[in-house]
Amino acid sequence: MRVRILQIVTVIAALGVWEVVARMGWVDPLFVPAPSAVAPALLKIGRGALAGLADTLGKTAVAYVLSVVLGVSAGVAVGSIRLLREVLSPYVIAFYGIPKILVLPWIVLLLGYGTTPAVFYGVLHGFFPIMVLVMGAVRDVDRTLVAVARSLGATTWQLYWKVLLPAIVPSVLGGMRLGVVFCLLGVLVVEMFAGVRGMGHVLGSYANGFQAPELFAATALVSAASIAIVLALDHLNDRLSRWRG
Amino acid sequence: MSARPELITIEGVTKRYLTSSGPVDALHDVSLSVEEGAFCTLIGPSGCGKSTLLGMLGGLVTPDRGRLLVDGRPVTGPDPRRVATVFQEAGLFPWRTTLQNVEFGLELQGVPAERRRQTAAELLGPLGLSGFAEKYPRELSGGMKQRVAIGRALALDAKILLMDEPFGALDEQTRLLMGEWLLDIWRRTRKTVIFVTHSLHEALFLSTRVAVMTARPGRIKTALDLTMEYPRAMESSEMVALRAKLWSEIREESLRAMR
Amino acid sequence: MTVVGLRLGLLALFLAIWEIAGRKVNPLLGVPPSAVLPSLRDLLLLRSYPDLPASLWLTIREIGTAYALAVAAGLGCGFVLGMHRLVGRAWGPMLAALYAVPAVVWYPSLMLFFGLDAASKIAFGFLLGFFPIALAVLAGIRQVNPQLVVVARAYGAGTATVFRRVMLPAMLFTLVGGLRTGLVLCVIGVVVGEILGSKAGMGALINHAYGLLRTGDYVALVLVTLVLVVGSDVLASLLERRARRWTE
Repeated sequence: MRVRILQIVTVIAALGVWEVVARMGWVDPLFVPAPSAVAPALLKIGRGALAGLADTLGKTAVAYVLSVVLGVSAGVAVGSIRLLREVLSPYVIAFYGIPKILVLPWIVLLLGYGTTPAVFYGVLHGFFPIMVLVMGAVRDVDRTLVAVARSLGATTWQLYWKVLLPAIVPSVLGGMRLGVVFCLLGVLVVEMFAGVRGMGHVLGSYANGFQAPELFAATALVSAASIAIVLALDHLNDRLSRWRG
Repeated sequence: MSARPELITIEGVTKRYLTSSGPVDALHDVSLSVEEGAFCTLIGPSGCGKSTLLGMLGGLVTPDRGRLLVDGRPVTGPDPRRVATVFQEAGLFPWRTTLQNVEFGLELQGVPAERRRQTAAELLGPLGLSGFAEKYPRELSGGMKQRVAIGRALALDAKILLMDEPFGALDEQTRLLMGEWLLDIWRRTRKTVIFVTHSLHEALFLSTRVAVMTARPGRIKTALDLTMEYPRAMESSEMVALRAKLWSEIREESLRAMR
Repeated sequence: MTVVGLRLGLLALFLAIWEIAGRKVNPLLGVPPSAVLPSLRDLLLLRSYPDLPASLWLTIREIGTAYALAVAAGLGCGFVLGMHRLVGRAWGPMLAALYAVPAVVWYPSLMLFFGLDAASKIAFGFLLGFFPIALAVLAGIRQVNPQLVVVARAYGAGTATVFRRVMLPAMLFTLVGGLRTGLVLCVIGVVVGEILGSKAGMGALINHAYGLLRTGDYVALVLVTLVLVVGSDVLASLLERRARRWTE
């Protein structure tokens, strides 16, 4: 309860300080508009921004589904086959770690402007964290559970289906939570770099046009959408894992 | 000796593991036979290969040399219809309820859902788990978890039950009660049990036969047949003398293992 | 041994496929490895981009500044949140919620505010690096075994001693991990900022090569930037290892 109050007070205080700072002219309102100027801008950009958001979220959804399906399958395959894991893991870690922004120009050269590079780049961002997490989870499955299943005569198929897959559900859910933010990030970056539509493009053009209130409003909109998605996934996560307590 | 047929025959079994710090001889030329309906305990210092021997009987470990016969047939792999294993850690599937854990083995065998549910449900009473059918492992105490694991093995109705220190992780009081409970289950089901333990008390309280193993590489040092009636009075002079004898055998090996 | 062989084999196979595919497609799009080497040589001999050292140095300075700010703010913020239970419980989740927003959405605002020069890159690198450091401090404080603190207090340790002798060693592992992640993200933030819009630095050079479809130069510049990225992480991992040895 006190926590909740403190959170609300913090937000109000931050907005208040921001408002005062902007009103007093300590910062240039051209760059940092007061909250009271951002709110009307939110209404003004409404329709166009929502269309952009829908476009971005659509691409993100496609990239996300691909990332989860590919990431989980690759993670299970590489994680459960020892030779594959030992040979591939340095490459996987390397690809996970390098800044993917460096290949972005090349992707745009190859795939052009529009939806395809955005989805591809989104998958590039979403795939690796999911795969790395799942790979680790498969490797770390409790050996006793595997021994139990084998002693009870489990076939290889049954080992995967009844032991490995249920055991990695928490990691898959964790990866899905992480992955969605990465996918959205990838899509937004492409839209900023070489977009003709979508929220990344909208943000970029407001920034280039020095439309600070609109830019802040649009930023708030994307952030809210992203937080809502992650909270929804968290909720789903809690529902699906009663056995974890 | 009784004239009951031998159910398990172990002949000249040897196993060497290759580890990063060189080869380790886990078992050397182990021979042992266990007759049907026996409760045979393997006892010995840590690392003497008791678990390896059990793993071989369960078909999870292959010997380098020697052979293992169960019911006259060589062991080639896990055969849950004849041999069921209970591990030291209960190894319950955390995403399955008590009932679902107990029926797991039957599920793997392709037993229809309704029948396996019924078999598992009937077991819960004797396991002392009625009312816990829908609980998840994290909601159970250590003793309960181990009973679920034993139930999972019993559900298969295999003739042989292998138990690898099933009560090793429990506190002493729970352990004593679980011993009494297991004795009761064994006398009712007439399974053949191979039981690995570090506890002299458990060995003397439960077994018809106690095999003392040597320090690594593990061999059978002595095997005692116990013929006293159940339930055994642990304070009787006969038991106290047996306990002292058993301890002197094990103490020597444990000292060697510590060196 | 086999594993290393297979790894190298895989790498060779990858390069071979790249070489064959790179020769087949339009030379503006595909660059076979054999074509990258001359570009790389020209780049390193400062023939194609004479301002490479200046650009590299600018990018490194941006990274350094961003990281210094991120470490200072991340440690400060993390300790304040970690030491005050109520503040921590209220602000921790808010910090985590902000972490759930893809950071790049802040970049246009930063660009508007700080302009196209180094300041916006530093700000973005700072923003990316700050979160893992602050969250690592929080996690580190939470994982200190309270029993140890009780024991230390029972032996008469004061707050400062408890902090220095108990808390810091116990949380160092997590803390150093966070500092390393923070550096990686700082580097990524600066490079992303430069590529999304800048007038100087490695990102600007990459954009220049890409804009003129000088694909060979582009790949060579990417490789140089990668050396910078990987180098900074190697440096961080060496420091991490040292810190770990110190705790043991």
